[in-house]
Amino acid sequence: MTMRAWIMRRVLVAAGCLFAAMVSGNAQSAIQTPALYTRWTNYTPANGFPAGEVFCVTVDGGRVWAGTTHGLVMLEDGLVKKVFTQKDGLAGRAVMSVAVDPENGDVWVGTFGGLSRYSGGKFTNYTNMTSGLANDLVYGVAVQGQNVWVATGAGVNRLDTRTGSWSIFNETNAPFAEPWGYGISVSKEKIYFAVWGGGVLSYDLAKQTWKPFNDPDGEMELVLYRNQGLIHNIVSSVSYNESTKTFWASTYFGLSGYDGRNWHNYLTKDSGLASNFINAVHSRGDEVWASTQGGLSELDTRTNTWVSYRRDAKTGHGEILVTHADGSKERIATQTSVAHTYILNTDFQGDDIWVATAQGLSHGMRAVNKEHGK
Amino acid sequence: MSGPRESSSNKLTHREEWAIGVAVLAMIFAVVLMFAQQPILASAAGRGPGTKVERPEAEVRYLSPVALQLSHDGRWLYVVCEDSDVMLVVDTRAARVLRRVKVGTRPKGIAISPDGKTLYVSDETSDAVTEIDAQSFAVRRTLKVGWGPVGLTTDRTGDVLYVANTLGNDVSVIDLRTGTERKRLEAGHYPEYVALSNDGTRVYVANLLARLAPPDRPPVSELTVIDCAKQVIAARVDVPGVIQMRHIAELPSSAGGYVLVPFMRPKNLNPLVQIPQGGYLTHGMAVIRPASSSADGPGSYQVTEVLLDNIDHYYADGFGVAETPEGRWALVTASGADVVSVVDATKLRRLLMRSAAQRLALANRLDSANEIIAERVATGRNPTDVIASADGQFAYIANRMDDTISVMDMTRRQMVSTIDLGGPKELTQRRRGERLFYDASYCYQGQMACATCHPHEGLSDGLAWSLETPQLGRDVVENRTLYSIAGTEPFKWNGKNPDLETQDGPRTAMYIFRSQGFNSKEVEDLVGYIFSLHLRQNPHLAGDGTLTDAQARGRAMFFRDKSNSGAIIPPMQRCYTCHSPLTHFTSRVQLNVGTATKYDTISAFDVPQLEGVAMKPPYLHNGEALELEDIWTSYNPEDKHGLTSDMNKAQLNDLIEYLKTL
Repeated sequence: MTMRAWIMRRVLVAAGCLFAAMVSGNAQSAIQTPALYTRWTNYTPANGFPAGEVFCVTVDGGRVWAGTTHGLVMLEDGLVKKVFTQKDGLAGRAVMSVAVDPENGDVWVGTFGGLSRYSGGKFTNYTNMTSGLANDLVYGVAVQGQNVWVATGAGVNRLDTRTGSWSIFNETNAPFAEPWGYGISVSKEKIYFAVWGGGVLSYDLAKQTWKPFNDPDGEMELVLYRNQGLIHNIVSSVSYNESTKTFWASTYFGLSGYDGRNWHNYLTKDSGLASNFINAVHSRGDEVWASTQGGLSELDTRTNTWVSYRRDAKTGHGEILVTHADGSKERIATQTSVAHTYILNTDFQGDDIWVATAQGLSHGMRAVNKEHGK
Repeated sequence: MSGPRESSSNKLTHREEWAIGVAVLAMIFAVVLMFAQQPILASAAGRGPGTKVERPEAEVRYLSPVALQLSHDGRWLYVVCEDSDVMLVVDTRAARVLRRVKVGTRPKGIAISPDGKTLYVSDETSDAVTEIDAQSFAVRRTLKVGWGPVGLTTDRTGDVLYVANTLGNDVSVIDLRTGTERKRLEAGHYPEYVALSNDGTRVYVANLLARLAPPDRPPVSELTVIDCAKQVIAARVDVPGVIQMRHIAELPSSAGGYVLVPFMRPKNLNPLVQIPQGGYLTHGMAVIRPASSSADGPGSYQVTEVLLDNIDHYYADGFGVAETPEGRWALVTASGADVVSVVDATKLRRLLMRSAAQRLALANRLDSANEIIAERVATGRNPTDVIASADGQFAYIANRMDDTISVMDMTRRQMVSTIDLGGPKELTQRRRGERLFYDASYCYQGQMACATCHPHEGLSDGLAWSLETPQLGRDVVENRTLYSIAGTEPFKWNGKNPDLETQDGPRTAMYIFRSQGFNSKEVEDLVGYIFSLHLRQNPHLAGDGTLTDAQARGRAMFFRDKSNSGAIIPPMQRCYTCHSPLTHFTSRVQLNVGTATKYDTISAFDVPQLEGVAMKPPYLHNGEALELEDIWTSYNPEDKHGLTSDMNKAQLNDLIEYLKTL
């Protein structure tokens, strides 16, 4: 073989490797982009939805429940079926949380006038005056077996639905730095509580013991070491992910996750998070969804890719910002978008996402094939 | 030949003569003894009210049949007897009891599997269901369910059992493949009986008591509907103005597909003096029609209420209901009137269709019975459950107070026989009193019995009644339970009745029954029975009496002498002063605890006993406090009803947890 031939062969091999690497890279890039939600249907006063903020959204099989400033909305088959207000028996006007008991189908509703149970078409109310509920400001509610856990402005309550017994957990019997229970997440072994100003508390169901998770630098609104601990004590919600064994906490100063060994913290400055002011977090599979004041952000933990959704207030069109693991960004325009960029909560119906915003409820559907405006 | 020997052998020896003499004497003695005993037995059979009982009352165990099932071929009638803890197997052809199967304590209900091979008996005080092989009648296993199970049914597959738990206010859903409770569904208030819909898609649950509501509003009861496919509550159907919904039957779709539930319809907010005007307490049945096969929400059900009373005579305390297979007849037992009413389902349907525009008005019309009742047939004492045979030929009625089954020929709609189940023939004082308790014949026009307002063996009906004064809306008082009231005299919220004899004798006759009432001997028997009533179990208290942490903290609050600030609590503001544990948690006096309203003519009320307090909402003299919490959060602003204003919410919760154990 001549030198020339040898060089040619080497060049060809190198070109082949380069091509293969490029193909591989492109393929990997395609894998690394999470599925995008490009089609949105919004529910606003224009189509029978109450005005004002939507504080929460909960999927209940084919039904969707949305808690708003003006009552509880039940949607079926994509239509607003009924708006429940105090006239219908709801405990309060503003609905902050909804939880569905998978066993009996009862719907538990946290309002600013107490706790309601919707069952068989009727409301039963539990208030500070008429039951063992510690406070009528109910921010969060969750069902764990026969117990209903309630996060209130005066600590956390547990209602045993079989015995009717109420238990109160607050600073007198648990490590509550602040009494404001905001959110609740149930796992098989533990209950996690988001406490506004008090970090995250976990309650071990078997041992009946509490464990606090607090910001190691106290109330400082900065992070000295990135993955040192909970990012801030003002925690607005918590979400435990059974598949990754990680709880995620949304704070007003960033997003925190704890897998039992390590913390995983995210700020806007070093991630694709839309805003550090986060109202809620929801994690499933490899996904972590942050409802922020600057848009809806998804972290794909498998690829470390961020996708954020926001609405152009002028045009009403949508904008998707993809932030890849290497820091590169990609902007995608969509015809439709979430109802408002200020996001308060999310839930999933199969692959579809439901998003509570400051001005309406949004239903997002994934892009079909390669459609997303590229 | 053998003549002399024969002669010799024919001649009796002295020994033989003596032996024969002894034998004859023995026979004479036996005959005398037999005759001597016979009058006692005859007397027991005749049993006048004053009959002497030869054995201690506690040893006399009546059967008290309360629930029936038939084998699929109609050969065997299964009879649940609550006072003897047995299920009897009755041969319907021979009309006699073949087997006694021991079950748990206080059995109340029975269900049969779709294949007819298994029976399920609810044991109210055992909080369990006994599963019985319907061929060998062997007990296979005991299934743990909720508190106070009564009514039960399997689903279409026979894999799931639904059990109504009275004390738990819920329904246990039992997986029969594993024998474990899969879930518990919250029902209404005191669910007693259940039924599977004819199409197998739903389970209906009838709640004995109305939903808790402010005392100045008419009661609203609930028919709870369970979706069998999802095993969730599909609907809570309002049945307005009534309480005490009992058994459930469903007519076939060819007869309208109506769901029938007996009820009592009280006018408790009208002054009781209106009893002689009639219509104060009426008895009938809810006729409920599901709008479609899908059961989603209370709006899918149309509820009509039809009275089964006559204008001048009432058929108190509807209990059992059954339909004949083709839907021609519906049978409703009036347990206080010893009658089964035979409803002509065709005429019922005609009445409903004709009254479509004024459907709701039927609830107050006492002339409907003229049109829809085909027969009133006398039964035994206190008829409870009723069941029709699969061929529509016969109906069987359980008579609780005389331990018999009435057999009715449905072709002639007449009673053809009575099956004696073999209960004791003597009458104890308690049994005599119990019979009186369920007997509405003592009331003017038969409007009510004691049991009408104290159903389920002494429970309170949960209603406030205008008992005291003839003015509308004045002095309305909450009904009270009869559990454990011996030693808690005086009675009534105003404390005017010094003893139960006064309350149940002349006062009941004059102010409630508006009749001659009970004689003094009957009053004695009735009081004896009432004093025997107790809450049979308190599910809030552990079997060994151990208190939970919260209950123990609550007990300390109940018996505290110092407030949270350390100040001595004046004796009259301590819980235990007025609710003394030494006297059933009452001080037996009338006290002003600041609960009188402008509608009351007095301000001091009898201190109620607290035993079983968790089971008898609402609270306070007028029933204003729907939950225990209300007593102190809403109706104790000046700490007159005990010093409670210093308590934090957790302490109040603890106190309530303790009270629930009493």
